[in-house]
Amino acid sequence: MEKRCFGVGLEKQENDLIIDQGAGFVITSIDKLANWARTGSLWPMTFGLACCAIEMMHSGAARYDMDRFGVIFRPSPRQADVMIVAGTLVNKMAPALRKVYDQMAEPKWVISMGSCANGGGYYHDSYAVVRGCDQIIPVDIYVPGCPPTAEALLNGIIELQRKIKNKN
Amino acid sequence: MVNKKYEQLNDLIDQYLNSFEIVKTNDGTSITLELKKDDLIEICSLLKNTEALNFSMLIDVCGIDYLHYGVGDWETTKATASGYSRAVQQNTIIPDPDEKYQEKRFAVIYHLLSIDKNWRIRLKTFTGSENPPIVQSVTGIWNSADWFEREAFDLFGIYFDGHPDLRRILTDYGFIGHPFRKDFPLAGNLEVFHDDLEQKVKYRPVSITTRPTVPKVIRKKKNS
Repeated sequence: MEKRCFGVGLEKQENDLIIDQGAGFVITSIDKLANWARTGSLWPMTFGLACCAIEMMHSGAARYDMDRFGVIFRPSPRQADVMIVAGTLVNKMAPALRKVYDQMAEPKWVISMGSCANGGGYYHDSYAVVRGCDQIIPVDIYVPGCPPTAEALLNGIIELQRKIKNKN
Repeated sequence: MVNKKYEQLNDLIDQYLNSFEIVKTNDGTSITLELKKDDLIEICSLLKNTEALNFSMLIDVCGIDYLHYGVGDWETTKATASGYSRAVQQNTIIPDPDEKYQEKRFAVIYHLLSIDKNWRIRLKTFTGSENPPIVQSVTGIWNSADWFEREAFDLFGIYFDGHPDLRRILTDYGFIGHPFRKDFPLAGNLEVFHDDLEQKVKYRPVSITTRPTVPKVIRKKKNS
């Protein structure tokens, strides 16, 4: 890419047609532009259920500062792109989780955070706990840990961005 | 060490409750009254309404299941690789209506506080000869008993006669069984999943089998 081109964070591919006539413009595919836009503004629907939510707050706070990645927590599923299921999902909460997921607008992604959301974790044998939130909703990224550190969740978000970028 | 604070309370209880059949345990730092469940309401209102006692606050109500009480799961001299767990025993979840319990299978514990005297007292009453086990509700005396009794009902299946709204408080809607009973299997009997065809969260029988989760290690003492 030439010096004064307007790059949109996309790596140049072999077959990309990029013409620079000095005025500074770039040609890319709509899919790539859309994916770039989506990765840059992943607004999560917080579904904090247990101690993982505390770690999620840490990654949102000043030290790790998820705002840098365009991640801004939303209180409403209607405004959200990604749902972070942080904590133990119990049977009684499962229909509510599904309802909130259904209320999110497409396209939507799910990050399952911590052992409990991944597969029941410590409470796998319990009579009241769902053995993994993927029993209820489709999951894109599993973040392991009990609880995962703030860095681990951040890594999960970056992995999700990579996943979205590679789509189409 | 004997706490001077409770000497006066001890005497007052002897004075006011001498007409009831109670077993009093005073270890110097706390007083426990074990009483017959038919006397419960009368004793509770007496403890609350007597000026000299004035137990105006109910701190907690909880249940106890004494099934397997004092039976050690781990009492063995053999080592095991599979671990020990009473939850592995498969039991029925739905209580059998014909089953008769031991008279002292369930207990209900009440913790009271006298705010202006700074006294605490513990009441304990046994139930279980009926099925379901039943005791009188104390919601008429202390309003705070409402949710405590719902919790004890939910987890132990103890009915509280006279409770205004006795329904489950913690477990799932439509939950079967009482999970804190010692004969309740750990994995329960239903699990939830999402049916993609019907677009609905539904129940199905549990897919896992209960397994021992407690390992056991026996260490032999040296020179013995």
